[in-house]
Amino acid sequence: MTVTQISQRKKYLAQDNVYLPHIVVVEKIIEETPSVRTLHFHFKDDTLNREFTFDPGQFAELSVFGVGEATFCISNSPTRQGHLECGINRVGLVTNALHRLGTGAEIGFRGPYGNSFPLDDMRGKDLVFVGGGIGLAPLRSLIWNVIDNRDKYGAIAIIYGARSAADLCFKYDLDSWKNDKTVNTAVTIDRNESGWQGKVGFVPAVLGEMAPSARNAMAVVCGPPVMIRNTFPVLEKLGFAPEQIVTTLEKKMKCGIGKCGRCNIGNLYVCRDGPVFTYAQIKNFISDEY
Amino acid sequence: MEKELRKQANRLLEEGTVDCIIGHAQGSLKFTTTPLITGDKTEISNLIISPFMHNNLANYLIRRHGKTGIVAKGCDSRSIVSLIQDKQVSRDAVVIIGVPCSGLVDMAKLESLTGKVRDQIEAVTVAGDKVSVKLNGKKKEYPARQVLFDHCLGCEFPTPQEYDCLIGEPVAAINDTELSSKKIADIKKMAPQDRWAFWQKQFSRCIRCYACREVCPACFCERCFAEESQPHWISPVPQWQDNLVFQVIRTIHVAGRCSDCGECERVCPQHIPLRLLSREMYDLIDEMFHYKSGMDKNAPPLMTAYEMVEAEGLIR
Amino acid sequence: MNSKKINKKDLKKLLDTWRRDFNLIVPVLENEVITMDVWDGKDTAFIDWYRNTVVPPKANFLPPGEKMISFEKKKDGIVLEIPRNGQRQIIFGVRPCDARSIAIIDDVFTETYEDTYYLSRRNNTIVIGLSCNSPYDSCFCTSLNINPVESAHVDLLFTDIGDDLLIEEITERGKGLLNMPDTIKKATKADTEKGQALKDSLAAKVTKQVNVKDMEHRLQACFNDREFWEKAAAKCIGCGICTFLCPTCFCFDINDEMLKKQGARYRSWDSCSFKAYTRMPMENPREERWRRVRQKVCHKYQFLPANLGVTACTGCGRCIRLCPVNWDITQVLAGVPQKEAARSAK
Repeated sequence: MTVTQISQRKKYLAQDNVYLPHIVVVEKIIEETPSVRTLHFHFKDDTLNREFTFDPGQFAELSVFGVGEATFCISNSPTRQGHLECGINRVGLVTNALHRLGTGAEIGFRGPYGNSFPLDDMRGKDLVFVGGGIGLAPLRSLIWNVIDNRDKYGAIAIIYGARSAADLCFKYDLDSWKNDKTVNTAVTIDRNESGWQGKVGFVPAVLGEMAPSARNAMAVVCGPPVMIRNTFPVLEKLGFAPEQIVTTLEKKMKCGIGKCGRCNIGNLYVCRDGPVFTYAQIKNFISDEY
Repeated sequence: MEKELRKQANRLLEEGTVDCIIGHAQGSLKFTTTPLITGDKTEISNLIISPFMHNNLANYLIRRHGKTGIVAKGCDSRSIVSLIQDKQVSRDAVVIIGVPCSGLVDMAKLESLTGKVRDQIEAVTVAGDKVSVKLNGKKKEYPARQVLFDHCLGCEFPTPQEYDCLIGEPVAAINDTELSSKKIADIKKMAPQDRWAFWQKQFSRCIRCYACREVCPACFCERCFAEESQPHWISPVPQWQDNLVFQVIRTIHVAGRCSDCGECERVCPQHIPLRLLSREMYDLIDEMFHYKSGMDKNAPPLMTAYEMVEAEGLIR
Repeated sequence: MNSKKINKKDLKKLLDTWRRDFNLIVPVLENEVITMDVWDGKDTAFIDWYRNTVVPPKANFLPPGEKMISFEKKKDGIVLEIPRNGQRQIIFGVRPCDARSIAIIDDVFTETYEDTYYLSRRNNTIVIGLSCNSPYDSCFCTSLNINPVESAHVDLLFTDIGDDLLIEEITERGKGLLNMPDTIKKATKADTEKGQALKDSLAAKVTKQVNVKDMEHRLQACFNDREFWEKAAAKCIGCGICTFLCPTCFCFDINDEMLKKQGARYRSWDSCSFKAYTRMPMENPREERWRRVRQKVCHKYQFLPANLGVTACTGCGRCIRLCPVNWDITQVLAGVPQKEAARSAK
């Protein structure tokens, strides 16, 4: 598992102050579902727009000044520069404020923080991406990264689902992937709806039906905690060893840099030692509080 | 009395009437007690009755499941009744072991009188209206009135009004409201700007540990207004303005529920005189509504009920 | 080596010289609460009555509330500003337990990322230790290998040997404060021997003891023992006293305030004892109290030792003497089973 180097972590500090955000400007808003929107934004400082880079899986702290800061994974791929994207699920104080913004709004950005998906370990392997709801946001950064470097990876399978058709996020990506013959995509919703032509059923069940091979493969799982917990046994049954299964964990965060203490799982901080973990690591966690 | 208490507690557990006993046990430091919460009969011998049994155990009934035998002083039993009125606790989920209380020793007052800190005092014994203190081998006596908590001095109901069994005989109330409320009277003599300056200084020292809120049985909200972010009522940053607003709102929220047990003031690590606010509210409630908290388990909670006459013509 | 000494009657003269160039903070009594505040220039009686503060020295570097960034919404966008702080200060009277706690928190705020708010205060502060001649009955520093007469992590250490105060010079910064050749004298052999003898006699005054050997592994072994933790947490009421007043606790919250076009981002003390600490809109991994009590004990005796190599508790006893319900961490630790450690060691 590759962990971001300290020097890379410190590269984008504003004024040598870890807590000072850069100003970013919202350039585009996509309303994905009634509760999820994607913000596209760029740095006000143009040098950063040219130089800023990150690895898939890393997150940032977005600020609505006067309201607060919250953690979001960077959901575009570093292979596609020019702007940054974050998927925002409207659940609390800051996310509601982010949902009230219009284009041109100035918000704060601190990052990139955390570790990233183990691209080195994934090279040459078949990849199975399992996503649910807004869990597709971190996954799509990785998926586009992999697709943009297609020849470095084996077969790609994407299994994604949501509660209903209206709750599917990043529908434009799902369409692109469905039309991509080098990728095997399955989209499912929990209960059948009129006009729905995709699969029906919970994501872990659909995964079980599709039964991708575990030979020389890795699985990456992102979604609501209950979906992740129900996906692990399905993957294990298909022959995936815990080291072959990767996921991202979510915890309440404030500082994002391992100082305020609250995102710990045992002696690990999700903001610093995660958010990307293998199932093997998770099985060895001191604590069950995740 | 302790023997009788342990006997009753044991009986309740043995007969299966309750699955848990909540009482006081000797603390790990001198002149302190600590709550004993146990379903284990072998631990019942740790139950004590002491002039330091300050915790308001009614606090532990909040969101508690099962049937509990609870040791209650006068103020505690009023807090239990208040919780029953608010439908936070069911009367048949508790067996109240009433313990009449002659007043508790305020170690802060004793430290002030003796000039010594708690761990430098060898022994403290209460005998009637005298408190005997042993320092450096020598004994000194103080009148109890100088050493008991202010709220104990002003206590009207030292014997629990609501109980299932009573340990010992009812005791007479000291009811020295003048002495008990002297500090409040002093504050009221201050000019408004001096009073404001006094509270500003006091609340600059508050660190927002919320001990006052967490010890209080009247504060039973699952989510306190202070923790809400939508809307953002007060800032979690401990500036005196927000600290003062927190306390004022808390005082208003517990109005009609507070039994003046004094815990909020005792536990404050910064010795902020919180009882000045809570007792003043207690007296205002009595004055305005002729109501004393926790006296009638069938009465609706004061601030959630009204009589038509109170409309005073506003509702036609 | 205790090379110097000063007569207690001359302490005022020394503090006067310090006061000229530094913000001098000494023990004071405010509202009957021992705290540390700016010296009034007159009183040095604290040297005799002072035991330990309620609020620990961490408050000087990580204040209960602190402004991090000011913002103003201007016509061409939002403007951010960082407040300047870092007044030169001397804290006089830090006990050895608290001195070690400062070293522990220094570690937290400098590793990987440097916390400039903390460091701007910390780097401008000279810490002057005062040996502890009157431990409380709640103190257990000796169980954490701290002696009441210990010179680690301070710039100077003063020790009360009766009429005089021994002075041990530890850092160059500390030495530079002792430029008073007429008032500060060389300590005699008898003086130094008195100081040495105090190491044993004062350690003996620390009566509370707890065996913390292998505690990291012992806690790891009973981490999932829900029954143990539920019992340990039974009387805890979930306030923030133990964590706020703990010299090694550092967890903080970050919040914004805004009125019309101006506002600021603040950080303030937070506690893992509070339910809201880990509460997210959809779920709370520490919904139950026993999980929060477990977190508090294990963070200090298991997780931080794994990360920093040092137990994040200095035995100052504040949590015990100030807890509203006399929850005693030494009792909980004593209850952590020994046997498993032996088994897992094999």
